[in-house]
Amino acid sequence: MAEARVVERFRKRTIWFHWIHTAAFLVLLVTGAILFLPGLGGPAAGGLTRFIHRIAVVFFVGMPIVYFIINPRMSLHFIKETLTWGRNDVQWFSQAPDYYFGGDEEKMPPQGHINTGQKMWQFIVLGTGALFLISGFFMWFLKDALAAGVFQWFVIVHDVAFVVALLMLLVHVYLGVIHPRMTESLRSMWDGKISKTYARNHYGKWYDEVAKGKN
Amino acid sequence: MEISRKNFLKGAAGATGLLLLQPPAMAMAKDSQTSAGMAMLIDVTKCVNCWWCYAACKEYNELPETTKPDLTQPPALSSNVWTTLHPVMNSGKWTSRKKACNHCTDAACVEVCPTGALSYNEMGFVQYDKEKCSGCGYCVEFCPFGVPQMETNTITGVAIMDKCTFCPDRVTNGEPPACAAACTTGAITYGQRADLIAEAKERVATLQQKNTDASLYGVNELGGLHVMYVLDNSPAVYGLPADPEVPPTSIIRDVLRWVGSGLAIAAVAGFGLNYLVARLRTRRGEE
Repeated sequence: MAEARVVERFRKRTIWFHWIHTAAFLVLLVTGAILFLPGLGGPAAGGLTRFIHRIAVVFFVGMPIVYFIINPRMSLHFIKETLTWGRNDVQWFSQAPDYYFGGDEEKMPPQGHINTGQKMWQFIVLGTGALFLISGFFMWFLKDALAAGVFQWFVIVHDVAFVVALLMLLVHVYLGVIHPRMTESLRSMWDGKISKTYARNHYGKWYDEVAKGKN
Repeated sequence: MEISRKNFLKGAAGATGLLLLQPPAMAMAKDSQTSAGMAMLIDVTKCVNCWWCYAACKEYNELPETTKPDLTQPPALSSNVWTTLHPVMNSGKWTSRKKACNHCTDAACVEVCPTGALSYNEMGFVQYDKEKCSGCGYCVEFCPFGVPQMETNTITGVAIMDKCTFCPDRVTNGEPPACAAACTTGAITYGQRADLIAEAKERVATLQQKNTDASLYGVNELGGLHVMYVLDNSPAVYGLPADPEVPPTSIIRDVLRWVGSGLAIAAVAGFGLNYLVARLRTRRGEE
């Protein structure tokens, strides 16, 4: 029988936030991709997808703001965590190729609440999010005020953010849903819980703190 | 002078009839010869600033009526103004360049249009299908001449591009575009592009005997424009960029598409390989 999943990894509000944000991003991704990838522009005719893109943006930007207001301490912690990099991360990077290709789990140094790879993803989300928002803001509201050459560069910034975000999203989905080692990842983003063994193996440092009741 | 309402209505009635005859959709490869197709030649030395090209364009294309513009305040191109004049004060005398879409052979707007709304017509002009326009505005921002125009609803983003169409219903029936038909002084000539180039070269050569500033514009720019200009001064004076190009940013976008798609495919292939290896090795570890 499978081990009971008793360790709380994510709170309900975080899970709601994750999935609503995901939905908004996927809508943005699809309605944006049809204008970026050649030959897919057909459905954009008439401008409905542009309108949908704008509605999705309201959720994409609004959700983090709402989450921040409800949960300022966690939000600041998230940002700080994303921006803090150190020697542990170097160790993670040196072990990651072997680890993700199924090597010995013991060789990977114990990780905190998120590991370096997840931190990298958070960094990409914040970074590309900022690029999307800044370039998108100018393209939406200040189009007429911009010189044509400047507008073109904002389009390119939007494109670059799209390429980076899409590639990293593929990695995120693969690791979270498919990778043979991440057996409890997707479910933990559904009901917030993981088993003790999974916690110990994947987030050893964090689990020790949880077990001690520090967190 | 006011453009009379009667005139507008008369023209509009005729135009409506013609508009029902949609030109056949002509999917089309670029001319291998830059001089192919039909074109217009604008000669500023023959223009008398009468604005009839402007009026005829509005009338034929059923754009909202307006009074005759003043040369000191020429209307800018807009959704309702597909052609206008670019007037220049030359030693106490106005000369004007008719300004509209130049119908490039290598058109930036066609390159960047994501929906295929903009395309090349085999007669040489750049056509567009309003039904396919998404309102993204890339053509507006990438055209080196600033020709395509749109009014965008700021909240919804809904917009449809407009520009000079080259009067496809007329030219496919062997008639000149409305502006060329309306011009009484020969400042706008319509015909085979090769013939017009020969004609233009002669005119410029004659002008240059008295005026060394005279120039010819549009023969080679952007693979050859389908609207060319005989000018009594440098192109810059008449608001024409000396060396127009498809903006390099559009090439960067192409590179991003290729690099992005390539990396995405490589990533998915990598996941497959990773999955197989990781599964094999973790299983072995369990045994």
